[in-house]
Amino acid sequence: MGAKSCRTHLYPRLTHQYIDAMSNTKARLPQPAASEHVALKARNVSFSWESTPLHWLPGDPFATHTINVLHLLLPAGERWFVHVYKQVLPLIRDERLREDVIGFIGQEAMHSQAHDEVLPHLREQGLDPTPYTAQVDWLFEKLLGDRTLPPGRPRQWWLMERVALIAAIEHYTAFLGDWVLNAEELDRRGADPTMLDLLRWHGAEEVEHRSVAFDLFLHVDGGYRRRVRTWAIAFTALVFLWQRGARFFMENDPTLTDGRARLRDFHRAGRAGTLPTTGAMLRSIPRYLSRDYHPSRECSTEQAVAYLASSPAATAAETRANGAL
Amino acid sequence: MPLPRPLGSRAARAALVVAGTALLTRRALRRRIGASPLWPLPALEEPVSGQPRTRALRLLVTRHERVADGVVQLRLEGDPSVPLPAWEPGAHLDLVLPSGLVRQYSLCGDPGDSSSYTVATRLVGPGEGGRGGSREVHEALAEGVEIEVRGPRNRFPLIGGAASYTFVAGGIGITPVLAMVRAVDAAGADWRLLYCGRSRAAMPFLEDVEKLGGAAGRVRVVAEDESGRPDVAAFLGAGEEAGEEAAAPAGAVYVCGPEGLMDAVAGALPAGCSLHLERFAPAASAGGDSAFEVELRRSGRTVAVDAGTTVLAAVRAELPGLAYSCEQGFCGTCQHRVLEGEIDHRDELLTDGERADSMLICVSRSLGPRLVLDL
Repeated sequence: MGAKSCRTHLYPRLTHQYIDAMSNTKARLPQPAASEHVALKARNVSFSWESTPLHWLPGDPFATHTINVLHLLLPAGERWFVHVYKQVLPLIRDERLREDVIGFIGQEAMHSQAHDEVLPHLREQGLDPTPYTAQVDWLFEKLLGDRTLPPGRPRQWWLMERVALIAAIEHYTAFLGDWVLNAEELDRRGADPTMLDLLRWHGAEEVEHRSVAFDLFLHVDGGYRRRVRTWAIAFTALVFLWQRGARFFMENDPTLTDGRARLRDFHRAGRAGTLPTTGAMLRSIPRYLSRDYHPSRECSTEQAVAYLASSPAATAAETRANGAL
Repeated sequence: MPLPRPLGSRAARAALVVAGTALLTRRALRRRIGASPLWPLPALEEPVSGQPRTRALRLLVTRHERVADGVVQLRLEGDPSVPLPAWEPGAHLDLVLPSGLVRQYSLCGDPGDSSSYTVATRLVGPGEGGRGGSREVHEALAEGVEIEVRGPRNRFPLIGGAASYTFVAGGIGITPVLAMVRAVDAAGADWRLLYCGRSRAAMPFLEDVEKLGGAAGRVRVVAEDESGRPDVAAFLGAGEEAGEEAAAPAGAVYVCGPEGLMDAVAGALPAGCSLHLERFAPAASAGGDSAFEVELRRSGRTVAVDAGTTVLAAVRAELPGLAYSCEQGFCGTCQHRVLEGEIDHRDELLTDGERADSMLICVSRSLGPRLVLDL
């Protein structure tokens, strides 16, 4: 079987145990850094938005709104991650991976809730996101939802396809998480501290759990062709959603008379350091498609953990968890 | 025979057609995207995103005053241009204290006032099982301090249409009852209140309730240092006698106070009356857990939940693939539909609507001996 021959040289050592559970193939595997693994737990964070201005990156509506697209996509998107992973959980045959997935589910659920709370605040400032989010809801609830498929192979195929899509999307959430943790230009330009903490708490958790979606994909399927196919779908969809989202915000922002989102604004913001650079985004593509890719060799867990130890929202969540005991 | 046209004009015409079509397409596309940002995707008819269960609000403590011995009342105000979320009598607010602790306090102001919230807190010392929340409210929440709140939510709703209302409040338990009494009185309904406490000086809002009761004798105040413990049975029984014919429709009894008071009311409840309780410490009340059983209807199995374990742990023993995550009642992963049974909600996530027929099985329990889950 073609898929099996791929597997033999695809799996990193971290997931070796998972493979052995399914087949007896021994293989030479790429080395993920074991030190990058941490136990995952959801944090009960809470953000209030009253004092956050519409352009939370002062004087830069374009960068503000390009990052704001996250609030449009993540509530529905991460709810969908949880929905899909609840169905995969019974298929996991490895205890450590199961624990990782359980921690991942809670973190994603909190990301979805936290970003969802930004939306009414945008509405109160005259920028109603509902026309866009209702369509994103359709995308994740209907198009990517549980389709009426006969049980057995078709249903399994659709589940695996979605697991692979999530792994591809998580490559980008980790990329963005790493970017925002290092985006010192946002501090220099006086970005709103609450928004910055939301983005960095979220980004740090994305970096913290960046290997889970990929490990799960390897554990339950791992086919290279599926990885490439779902990457292409996810990448195209992300570009489409982001471009339309930035355009939607710029055109509907009540404080802008001729708001537009152009590609050259994006390049410019990348060079200025208020958005990721186009080059860095392009360079991340071959890395995911490389046959020995493993997320543990991207980003830094240490940096993520250090941010979470100082994040106002995450430390308050910690106190709350201790107080509840 | 048509005249041959020069080549240049034909090419120019083709270019014009192409450019025109491109322009029209662009305009049509713009118009569509303007009306539907993700065109050609349709929209979900009932959008899900953008309607969070609760929102955190940052409010300013604009008044911090002592209203009785050991009781302070706080007035919390937000941005005057944005009305605060509405609430109904019985609702409470989650206060996220500066230390990060979260505590629930009943709203005791006027529900019609959308510019401020009022809560009152009694100082509970460590000797009485206090864990620092009320001390923080008393000492750290001075006027001018900003505080984060969530809610309001209502786990103690006042149900309209009862023939008569009987309220029993113990000490600080008057806070949700006060708003209820005002609402019932304004609606012209028949109501009575038994308000008991340690001493008159330690009982907040005494003047307010006595004024509401007026000369009609609707309010009975029992201070323990003057007249000992209240005779709850006599108070409830008196209502029954005064209730004229035995065929009169059943009344509603609302109680908020210490455990002993609620037990006394439950024990003396006249037949046909409905009982509504609000506990001081709904979540994680130490030691008060009892055992019960949970039927998993779709799996056709029944599991026992011991006092020291959770519904989640008991159910997982039968269904190991069941999803959960935070195990503290905030992430929502283990929300399941409840088909039968009375739920003891202990999470801090679900809305009142969700609470009607679902629960987070990691923290919430059963009030009765049996729950039936759609699992």
